[in-house]
Amino acid sequence: MAVTPDVAPDAGNRLEDLVDTAHRIGRAIKSVIEGKADVIRLTLTVLLAEGHLLIEDVPGVGKTMLAKALARSIDCPVRRVQFTPDLLPSDITGVSAYNQQTREFEFKPGPVFANIVVGDEINRASPKTQSALLECMEEHQVTVDGVTYALESPFMVIATQNPIEMEGTYPLPEAQRDRFTAKIAMGYPEPTAELEMLDVHGAAQPLGKLEPVATTAEVRALIEAVRAVYVSQAVKKYAVDMVTATRRSPDLRLGASPRATLHLVRAARAHAALSGRDYVIPDDLQDLAVPVLAHRLLPSLEAQGQRRHPEQVVAELVRRVPVPDTN
Amino acid sequence: MRLPIAAGLATGSVALTLYALFEGGAWFWAGVGTLLVTTTVASLASRFVLPKWAVPPVLLLAVAVFLSATFAKEETWAWVIPTKASLLRVGELLAEGFADIQHYAAPVPAEPGVSLLTATGIGLIAILVDLFAVRLRRAALAGLPLLGLFTVPAAVLTEPVAWPAFVIAAIGYVGLLVADGRERLSHWGRTVLVRRSRMAGADKADSGRLALTGKRIGATAITLAIVVPALIPALSPDPLFGFGVGNGSGRGGGSIGIPDAIAKLSGQLSQQQNATVLTYTSADDLPRYLRIYSLDVFDGTKWTVSPLRGRPEDRVSEGPLPPPPGLGPGIATKQVEGRINVSEDIDSLRFLPLPYPAVQVDADGDWRADQASRMVFSTRDEAAGLEYRVVVDEPRLSRAQLDVMGTATPEARYLALPEQLDPKIAAMAKRVTSQGVTQYQKAVLLQEWFTKNGGFTYSLQTKGSGGDALSRFILTDRTGYCEQFASAMAVMARMVGIPARVSIGYTGGTKIGNSWSVRTHDAHAWPELYFEGAGWLSFEPTPTGAAGQGTARVPDYALPLAPETTPSAGPSTGSVSDDDDTTGAHAPIRRNPRDFDRDLGAVPVTVDPGPPMWAKIAMGVAAVLLLALIPAGVRLVVRRRRGALTRRGNTGRGGVEPAIRAAWAELCDTLTDLGMSREQSESPRALARRLTETYEFDAETGNAITSIATAEERMRYAASPPSAGPGAADLARVRRALAAAVSRKSRTRAVLAPRSTLLRLRSAGTRVLDGFDRLEGIRFRPLGRGGAGTRMGTR
Repeated sequence: MAVTPDVAPDAGNRLEDLVDTAHRIGRAIKSVIEGKADVIRLTLTVLLAEGHLLIEDVPGVGKTMLAKALARSIDCPVRRVQFTPDLLPSDITGVSAYNQQTREFEFKPGPVFANIVVGDEINRASPKTQSALLECMEEHQVTVDGVTYALESPFMVIATQNPIEMEGTYPLPEAQRDRFTAKIAMGYPEPTAELEMLDVHGAAQPLGKLEPVATTAEVRALIEAVRAVYVSQAVKKYAVDMVTATRRSPDLRLGASPRATLHLVRAARAHAALSGRDYVIPDDLQDLAVPVLAHRLLPSLEAQGQRRHPEQVVAELVRRVPVPDTN
Repeated sequence: MRLPIAAGLATGSVALTLYALFEGGAWFWAGVGTLLVTTTVASLASRFVLPKWAVPPVLLLAVAVFLSATFAKEETWAWVIPTKASLLRVGELLAEGFADIQHYAAPVPAEPGVSLLTATGIGLIAILVDLFAVRLRRAALAGLPLLGLFTVPAAVLTEPVAWPAFVIAAIGYVGLLVADGRERLSHWGRTVLVRRSRMAGADKADSGRLALTGKRIGATAITLAIVVPALIPALSPDPLFGFGVGNGSGRGGGSIGIPDAIAKLSGQLSQQQNATVLTYTSADDLPRYLRIYSLDVFDGTKWTVSPLRGRPEDRVSEGPLPPPPGLGPGIATKQVEGRINVSEDIDSLRFLPLPYPAVQVDADGDWRADQASRMVFSTRDEAAGLEYRVVVDEPRLSRAQLDVMGTATPEARYLALPEQLDPKIAAMAKRVTSQGVTQYQKAVLLQEWFTKNGGFTYSLQTKGSGGDALSRFILTDRTGYCEQFASAMAVMARMVGIPARVSIGYTGGTKIGNSWSVRTHDAHAWPELYFEGAGWLSFEPTPTGAAGQGTARVPDYALPLAPETTPSAGPSTGSVSDDDDTTGAHAPIRRNPRDFDRDLGAVPVTVDPGPPMWAKIAMGVAAVLLLALIPAGVRLVVRRRRGALTRRGNTGRGGVEPAIRAAWAELCDTLTDLGMSREQSESPRALARRLTETYEFDAETGNAITSIATAEERMRYAASPPSAGPGAADLARVRRALAAAVSRKSRTRAVLAPRSTLLRLRSAGTRVLDGFDRLEGIRFRPLGRGGAGTRMGTR
């Protein structure tokens, strides 16, 4: 074959490192969660794209396990917040407490001061609390009593929500859903994977045995490498075309925001890098369109009547938008 | 409201084709007025929902009022209301118009009577069209009265209607059909939309698309109607279709009418002014008769020309003409070159005056030779002012040679005579020629009878040339001029079994200075008789000299008592004493060192009737097949070029980029040709993957297709293009694998009718049509807006 490999020589080492590290993390998570390769890959993509992940699924499919496994495999602080209706914003961001010895207010950082924050059942908390978290997500900083504290990089929120129980929940408004780079559903494991899970989990808690395989510094380097991935003009235009198509689709009441475009391209960079490619191709965007775009969209009444979910609509749009030819 | 206007416009556009029938434009304004009246009244009738049956009478009344008010204004009451007097006046005018039309040939001067008649006709057609299209809603049927109107100029004129006029007429009719379709659709009501849209406010069905399709189909049909006959040269000049003479190039649909040659001839001879028609020089400085027309059909009244054939390959510019019909191989000939200079001032003449038998003519323009008669004519060029070179190849015949020649006719029509001829003429012909032993002797005796023994006198006063006149001339009067002599001799020759025809042209004229000058008074008619082996020979039955046609002269071989004029270079005269020319027993002798390209075999040359019918059909089919194979050819060329590009890119001689592009384009076109789908949202990588999976390619093929796709992908999306392209072998392998994956039928079609090329052709056609639509949009949109604005204003 007369074709050069996907990787350009200059960026070769960095990308190889990246792929290598990412695979290590992936393997580590995989040892805990059986048969969910795409979910793990997407999680890594979101991590490298400096985004946040929303996992929506029924209880007991391993949402929290995934979040914890990711956190464990990277040697970094992980905090888990169980969202309940009585949770207050300060429970997340932290509080300024009066230190009687120093006679000064002292800031007690909340659980958000970590590299990976797992927000369990985020839709159970009141909108006030939700928005406190979401502000941190967007701005990577926390402001308490007029003092702004920057959050450490990498910072990733993995929120889970339960679609079945609707009583006493506050579903995330569109604007807040928009802040998540991607939403995924775990799905039930394959029967074989489930069997294997029984063998592994039956004996011991595998999460406990999980050793970190990467450091935060390494992850930061990975993120830097992802930022360098090349996106051609044609592919950018393709992303815009795709987002525009959601805004024009008669099946959607609300199309994707410009932030969605940004997230899509960023995630595509990470996706390309994970494949060991130093440039983005339309296939990256196509693979990510549903998880990145679908949760931001509102179906029209007709589409709802026909039980067409935004996921289906986006998949159809992807099939319709022509792939760009040249730059 | 729209449909009556469309009907009026359609009638008007077809009425435009009447332009060639009239001199002056008075008829036009009368016609326009009538159309305005009918259209206005029809529109009002639609607006106020008049019962259908009542509309035609109302329209008729309106036309009557308009015409009487226009043509008989003085007799009407208050310049509008018709009175009895005005109606009488209109009746008189109509009668005048009828008389004028009977009297004049087209173009008719547009006298009031003629204009009135025309306007009435247009009005009646308009009423019929309105009845069919608007009242009965049968727009297609309205084409019948329109066609009737269109056939009027086509039937009256020998010249066909010019193609722009045809286009306008066709567009008018198409417009009517489109308007009808629109109206029909608008009755269906508003489009029901599933979702909110900006167009929800429209209260009418969106018929724009429909109209667009209609217009496109109409435009294509009209273009085909004009272009196809122009592109197929066989259509017009070929007698298969009975079109007579045509030019085959489609320029303005020209065809030529043979003027009534005989009528013209007597006119020329009796003209007061003796103008110079042409001058000529010849190498041997001898005068020669210059033939223009050769009339070969005698219907008992007059001689006419059978349909001419001017195929493109008969152009005189294509090279020397074939040997003249009937000339045998053993006959010595003399080639003489001459130059003819036709005067600027002659009337429209589309035939070249030429000596017979001309074998080469070098004239500017599209001049074609009719093979049988050797008339040279053109459908677009005129002889006036033309200077041309001609080479004549005259047979040099001795009496002995002529004596043994038979008169087997090349075609039966040269012996055909109408049945109603006076039998006494035949008896006379027998009597006159009874002394002759051979056909040649009979011919000479016949000529002698006219010039000497028969007691004929030359006079231009004689009138008439009918069958009656012929028998009178031969049997009783014996007075006439060249036309009667030529005609009578040709008829009598046919009666004794010698093929004959009448030539019209000029005598050799008089010598002035270095050249021969031919004047109007040299116009002449003479018979040509056919002898197998010698071809057509002129005879001269008209008295010559002062008491006859001054410049006529009897050819040497026809002189009654001429000595043996065996030419010095005479070929073995003994060998021609028997009639076995056809056997080729004696070797053909090169008669003249200046002879060009006379590769006659031993066979006597007969008239070339062109290829037989089956060959023509086969040629046509072959041409169609060749046309159909053009896309395949284009595809092959494109494929070769891409292959070369790919190879060059690999060896480093060409750029990598074109190589990758070429390989990818070739892959895509192959898919299209083989009928494999390719979605527009499919990236190169996805395509390669899908093909490999769907057709279960082996690993090597899979790698090959991936290499092509990856190279293209890098080229499109990566920061730096790849350093090397896919191999030509990869491309070939993928093509083979893809071809193997489909049926034989699909493979054949991919080669013979490649869809990729056809699609490109179609998209090119669409672009052209889009361009037309845009042009239309430019013109009409501002008008539409203006109309809407005024409507708003009046509310």
